[in-house]
Amino acid sequence: MSEPLNALAVARAALAIRRQFLRMHFEARSGHIGSGLSAIDILASLYGAWLRPGDQFILSKGHSASALYATLHHFGKLSDAELSAYYQDDAFLPAHPAPLGLSAIPVATGSLGHGLPIAAGMAHGYLHLRATDSRVACLLSDGECNEGSTWEAALFAGHHRLENLTVLIDANGIQAFGRTEDVLRLEPFAKKWDAFGFDVTECDGHDFAALASALSAPASQRPRCIIARTVKGKGVSFMENTIDWHYWPMSEAQYRRAISELDQCERELSA
Amino acid sequence: MRVDFVKAVETTLTRDADALFITGDLGFNALEAFATKYGKRFINAGVAEQNMIGLAAGLALIGMRPWVYSIAPFVTLRCLEQIRNDVCLHRLSVRIVGNGGGYTYGIMGSSHHALEDLAVLKALPNMQLFFPCANDHVAAAVALISELTGPSYLRLAVSAFNTERAPLSENPITLTRSYATRADRSKPGLTVIGAGHGVQVALRALASHGLDRENVDVFGIARFPFRLTEDAELMASIFETKNVIFVEEHYAAGGMGESLKLALPALCVFSLMSASYRPDQRYGSAAFHMKQDQLTPDALVSLVQARLRAA
Repeated sequence: MSEPLNALAVARAALAIRRQFLRMHFEARSGHIGSGLSAIDILASLYGAWLRPGDQFILSKGHSASALYATLHHFGKLSDAELSAYYQDDAFLPAHPAPLGLSAIPVATGSLGHGLPIAAGMAHGYLHLRATDSRVACLLSDGECNEGSTWEAALFAGHHRLENLTVLIDANGIQAFGRTEDVLRLEPFAKKWDAFGFDVTECDGHDFAALASALSAPASQRPRCIIARTVKGKGVSFMENTIDWHYWPMSEAQYRRAISELDQCERELSA
Repeated sequence: MRVDFVKAVETTLTRDADALFITGDLGFNALEAFATKYGKRFINAGVAEQNMIGLAAGLALIGMRPWVYSIAPFVTLRCLEQIRNDVCLHRLSVRIVGNGGGYTYGIMGSSHHALEDLAVLKALPNMQLFFPCANDHVAAAVALISELTGPSYLRLAVSAFNTERAPLSENPITLTRSYATRADRSKPGLTVIGAGHGVQVALRALASHGLDRENVDVFGIARFPFRLTEDAELMASIFETKNVIFVEEHYAAGGMGESLKLALPALCVFSLMSASYRPDQRYGSAAFHMKQDQLTPDALVSLVQARLRAA
């Protein structure tokens, strides 16, 4: 990344990533669409305006790998050829990030609760052992906060005051088989992270200015947690807030309808 | 072995500025001075083994070489998926150290016994296992691990039958030790192999149970995957005797004996002495458990004599 993008430019990037993302899923006939759409605005904000050379990003919610692939492609970190292999045989781009395949993806994820411990290790190493100013961001799903290992890592990060660690939670409120509040209640979610030693910001996860402001808050000798309140399926009306689109692939008619909604969104952005 | 391990890993930390030590809250009355000496390169990750392995992977991803230490079952089974996904699949140089292999923790109970640690770890990609035979075998294993790129597991233990017997030879690559050789190569003989501290059963039998009067070679192996082509002395013995007794303080399923049997020619007679689970399990010292499992010097000598009579 060269210069950080402003909020409008990030919004445009996110729209282009959504378009690419839907095309990938339509062509591959693959699922996990809803949770990718909820994460794309966060990913665009990170790659468009926050990550610097030497920083690390860990996608702990590995089931949004396709959203990450589309984001990396948009920002020039993944080639056309690499991206075209998404969900294909004999390629490095499966539904969850693969190990040792791509330099832009340092670690494989897919089983939930693994990303934050790894991110905490990196952040601890940079801050206390390497004395570099590298930062680490880690994107979790809210459902992933059911995992004990997530909270083990939160305890560690708070205790060691990993101020170079930013945890982002794609809080779309829906997990694999129900609403998060019905399956295992997370609220008061912000209070939990605060109690574990984090500076917590809650924001609209689709408001680029709010995300930028949360990401750029001054350092405070505590790790940061941004609870990004998002909408599963964001940007495609018939996918929004439903559990179905955690699973289903799109038909051609659904794909065309989704793209026409993005076209409308683009016209509004340009106006 | 713990004291020898701490001494050996200290050498590594002194030589390698990227090496560090992470403990899962273990080390009372043992690691205090070590912790002071290495400052920020000593981390007590608390009682949180999944996070401990994940953070070791994160540290290794940015070029550090962590040693991760706890009681054997806690640092292997509790965090097995982290070892597989975060460490092994990325070929990271994370050195896992389990204290209390086999029945070492005895009366502490079954939560603390490690009888399937080698079985589960040997299935993982890129993983290398080290299981020293004796206290004076630990430093060589630590030195080898320190030079490795990729994941490893070091199994520390105390045998209920511990001896101070010195080996006749030690292979610098495989770490295999020869402890006794046959008196008469023209007569039927037997190759007794112990995995790690399991060999101490045989060493005690040699010292005080009459095994030294039998026509046996005794070896201790200490590394997996095996490197049998580099273990000339061991292989020569097996090919000559075609009669092997394997002793391990580990369940038979997935153990080292099972793997070795597969690697040997079918014409070998292969007998296995290993730990076993019983539904009516009762608890006691490591020696008590070894006796329950017939993992004793007496049982070994009886088996040796029976096999030699049948040969």
